[in-house]
Amino acid sequence: MGHWYAFFFYSLTSYASVLHNHQISLASIFFMPLRSVNLPGVGTKYEFTTDKGDTVAIFFTKSGTIQMYTLQQGCRTPSAAEMTPMEARRLGNILTGAIIEAESESVEIAFSALADLRITIHTYLIQKAIAGKTIEDLQIRTKTGVTVIAVSRKDRNIINPPPSFVFETGDAVVVIGETDQLKRFEREVMVD
Amino acid sequence: MESIVLALFVCLVLAIITKYLSIPPIPFYIIGGVLLGKSGFGLVTSDEIGHFFSQMGLIFLLFFMGLELKLERIAANRSAVLTSGIIDLNVNMLIGFVAAYLFGFSLIESAVIASAFYISSTAMAITSLVENRKLMMREAETVIWLMVFEDLVLIIFLAIISAGDQDPLLFLLKIAGVLAILYAIAHYGKEFLIGLLDRSDELPLLFTFAAVLTTASFSMYIGVPETMMVIALGAALATTDPDAFEQHARPFKDVFLVVFFVFFGITINLGGGIDMVMILTISLLAIVSKFISGILTGIFIHESALAGIEIWGNTIGRGEFSIALAALYGSPLVATVIAAMVIVTSIVGAFTAKYCTGLRKWMAMPGRRPPHHAHTGR
Repeated sequence: MGHWYAFFFYSLTSYASVLHNHQISLASIFFMPLRSVNLPGVGTKYEFTTDKGDTVAIFFTKSGTIQMYTLQQGCRTPSAAEMTPMEARRLGNILTGAIIEAESESVEIAFSALADLRITIHTYLIQKAIAGKTIEDLQIRTKTGVTVIAVSRKDRNIINPPPSFVFETGDAVVVIGETDQLKRFEREVMVD
Repeated sequence: MESIVLALFVCLVLAIITKYLSIPPIPFYIIGGVLLGKSGFGLVTSDEIGHFFSQMGLIFLLFFMGLELKLERIAANRSAVLTSGIIDLNVNMLIGFVAAYLFGFSLIESAVIASAFYISSTAMAITSLVENRKLMMREAETVIWLMVFEDLVLIIFLAIISAGDQDPLLFLLKIAGVLAILYAIAHYGKEFLIGLLDRSDELPLLFTFAAVLTTASFSMYIGVPETMMVIALGAALATTDPDAFEQHARPFKDVFLVVFFVFFGITINLGGGIDMVMILTISLLAIVSKFISGILTGIFIHESALAGIEIWGNTIGRGEFSIALAALYGSPLVATVIAAMVIVTSIVGAFTAKYCTGLRKWMAMPGRRPPHHAHTGR
């Protein structure tokens, strides 16, 4: 229960912050009216119709699972998939795609003994936009709070890169931090 | 003590089997109870502990219902709730009442049977919508709001029937007083309650349990119906952190409610002059009358009688609330009739919920099976 709730809240907050920070996203959200309905006893429903007329509906059910329905225009029977919160999050990561390439993945570790401390380790591919800059230039830790703990460059791994480390296109970086910090990293560093 | 352990063990086995086959467990709990009780092998008799557990089950069921009852949300969806709700209420109450009365039940007994006959199982309807992946259908929303409306009617029914022989003015004053206390606590203690529920120790569970029990016994003490007051408690607490309360009340509800169903089955007396024809007729009528109300709702809300088949298929099952009404107000014979109706409708309902979409398509194209809808979303 608590788990999906956190996820739900997290997706809401990230949605809100997208609204604040990026005008492009703002526009695209206005293009597709998103209807949300609270269904007593069932959970929350989010539904929108794409430009092409297909409909997508997502249900966060009370039992904690997430059901996604897609209905092709002109078709009467939707097809459905039921997901655990973990799977839904993975799908969400795939769908927000722009930043996260197929090679990026994320692991969340929860230390239950340490007041439920949650740390996420995430990998990213360096894009052209920030190639040639150093960790120091980008002010990664001051701006976002995350730490770059390793870089993988052409079969070679650099553990604990120094602040003067220069990124190259195609580097895979391993970043550690809290979920919110990683979100900030994706927004403020990876898109530069 | 042995009897409750035996009953619990049977519940556990039944729960495992029904979950594995994904069929509604409620009818099987009742059948299990009937087999254990005096109509079956006579292994379990309703004792003090069993009675207490059943009582808890009922109270937590109603408390849970109260938590779901967000009045402002209902008000925002008035039109959707009202049309379908009123059709459902009139058709089913009327058919249920007339049928019971013609079979020779008294007015009060007929009213109890009619209410149990009318009220579909929210748990079964919602489970079937989720498990059969039907949430996206337009009819699903109608079904969900129908369940909300039925809950409201149940509350009104509880109020009317329990006001019975009391001085109406004093009765209303008492109810208003308790309501005021509950809402005041929820309003002024909101911060405190939210903080309390957020803790990870035993406090949230303990508080939830104590709050429900205190409300129930206090209501009994001052002579207002405890059933209504625990619903009111749920509705009042839903203004603080309903999800947390649901989470903390769920363990109690889940366990006690199962015991409630089994002990209800145990007290059923099938021996001696039970009119099987009457019981079967009422059970079949319960299916037919939901068909009529479903088709009417389909026509009025979705402008399609076929949509009504979907509504029908998901609302046939009578369950927890019908049993609750039987346990609260039913004579032994009334309880038996309602139990049989719940068993028949919930088993039939499990099948219709699964196959009504197919039935609807088949009816939409008479004479031939639709070839291009090979996938049914299941």
